[in-house]
Amino acid sequence: MFKFRFNKWYPYLLLSPALIVLLLLFLGGVILGLSQSLGYFPVLGLEDPTFKYYLEVWSSTEFLHSLAFSLFISFVSASLTTVIGVFFAYQLLKMRNENKIINFLYKLPIIVPHIIASLMIFLILTQSGILSRFAYHLGIIDEIAQFPRLVFDKNGFGIIAAYLWKQIPFVVLMVYTVLKQINGSFEAAAKNLGASESQVFREIYLPLTAPSIASAFIIIFAFSLGSFEIPYLLGPTYPQTLSVLAYKNYISLDLTQRPYTMVIAMSLTMITVILIIIYRKILSLISRYHID
Amino acid sequence: MFKREIYRKILIYALTFLFAFPLLILILWAFSGQWPWPNLFAESFTLEGWKYFIDPANGALESLATSVIIGAAVTFITLVISIPAGKAMGLYNFPGKGAVKILVLAPLIVPPLAVTMGIHINFMLLGLADKLIGVILVHLIPTLPYSIRIMTHTFEGLGDKFEAQARVLGAGTIQRFIHVTLPLISPGLFSAGILVFIISFSQYLLTFLIGGGRIITFTMLLFPLVNSGDRMLAAVYSLVFIVSALIFTLLMERVLVNPKQKTDHFYI
Repeated sequence: MFKFRFNKWYPYLLLSPALIVLLLLFLGGVILGLSQSLGYFPVLGLEDPTFKYYLEVWSSTEFLHSLAFSLFISFVSASLTTVIGVFFAYQLLKMRNENKIINFLYKLPIIVPHIIASLMIFLILTQSGILSRFAYHLGIIDEIAQFPRLVFDKNGFGIIAAYLWKQIPFVVLMVYTVLKQINGSFEAAAKNLGASESQVFREIYLPLTAPSIASAFIIIFAFSLGSFEIPYLLGPTYPQTLSVLAYKNYISLDLTQRPYTMVIAMSLTMITVILIIIYRKILSLISRYHID
Repeated sequence: MFKREIYRKILIYALTFLFAFPLLILILWAFSGQWPWPNLFAESFTLEGWKYFIDPANGALESLATSVIIGAAVTFITLVISIPAGKAMGLYNFPGKGAVKILVLAPLIVPPLAVTMGIHINFMLLGLADKLIGVILVHLIPTLPYSIRIMTHTFEGLGDKFEAQARVLGAGTIQRFIHVTLPLISPGLFSAGILVFIISFSQYLLTFLIGGGRIITFTMLLFPLVNSGDRMLAAVYSLVFIVSALIFTLLMERVLVNPKQKTDHFYI
């Protein structure tokens, strides 16, 4: 009898430290942020919940431009990252002998923080950067001003480049690990029946890795959306991404602005929650391919 | 068939080069004095940046120590929390598991920026803001999901047979953990530990918000250097950062991983 009760509560006991931390810090943070964005902010003397701040922020052009800019950057960088990452992982899998140097080098960006990734993209892509110097020596441009603005530009080119450099290795790692576990006899059988290499990829490897590819895409999309350093260091002064907008509003010392800032932060949160819901829908759609 | 193999090799080398090339540029800049456009190589080389870095008046080494202390504390706390949590998620089925899974993974998706801004005022009220302990606590938010996820996978792969075996042979709870479970989960602990340390070590925004400019980690010094475009000095600091992270990785590997079971550690 005692043993039964013990077993029943055992998993919760094991989980309790993690749950306490996650509930207090994470869920607590989200709930407090939400109530502040709704104008419940006792420290400031605001106690009546209202949608006023949401209506004001969501109808401002600056916010809408930032929203569009953020979504554009996240979507482009997450799509490119996923496609290139999956391709690279597949090539790595097909390479006959493992190469230690390559295995080390391609993982290096994972330990390099975003600030340093921004610096490197700046050193290479800025108008006086390395690429512009190569362009001069190849005779493509004659003076510095002819080189296009690739950082601090309105299209977010520099930001996307930095995200790609930083995140492709992450996708390669995630997908490569899954690819390696796929039973080789599927491929052998397909080849035996006359499948080409692209067919093997499309009909066997792609469906079997689809769930991890989808989760990589969502994680990267959400991360790019909420990340601050790269768009702050490489982005234009206008439009700014939502994260930069929230940060700039937050550090302004005017505390009465705080609910507006929290609306921006909560908008980011809401987009990511919607993403998780979409992700679960997609996952249940593709999981019918999954062989257990 | 053979030709295809060569194309594949060229492609892989080219892509890997693209990942490594920016680091090469970083190394060059860290030693460059005058390097005006459009020169492909610097006109003069200098150790000025390194002298600036070592000079105690600039506080770089001190901030590096702060970063390591925070990173080590965060890694320790996160791992201690994640081992039991991973065991529960990996080995048992219980009511509410789906909800716990969502709660564990949600911090991966919801921007830490939003969470931290929400919780900041309460950290102030509780006296945790502007303190080392507050920064360590807030670093748990982005790190816990990764390490719980890795430990879950580790326990899933391991099963509970080994521990049951040890129990049958009469080993107590602590004995079982130290002699059976711990050695078996050490590769998972290694990947989790590295990832957690790197995330904490790289953190800028959370440290800035909660530390309030009082807790000076290495990224606090690096960020303004990159922002102001001081290429040589920023490159020096960046190199120090990357090398420190690599050294930590190697140290962890020494401590935790049995050379016979070296595999791909970063299975997330």
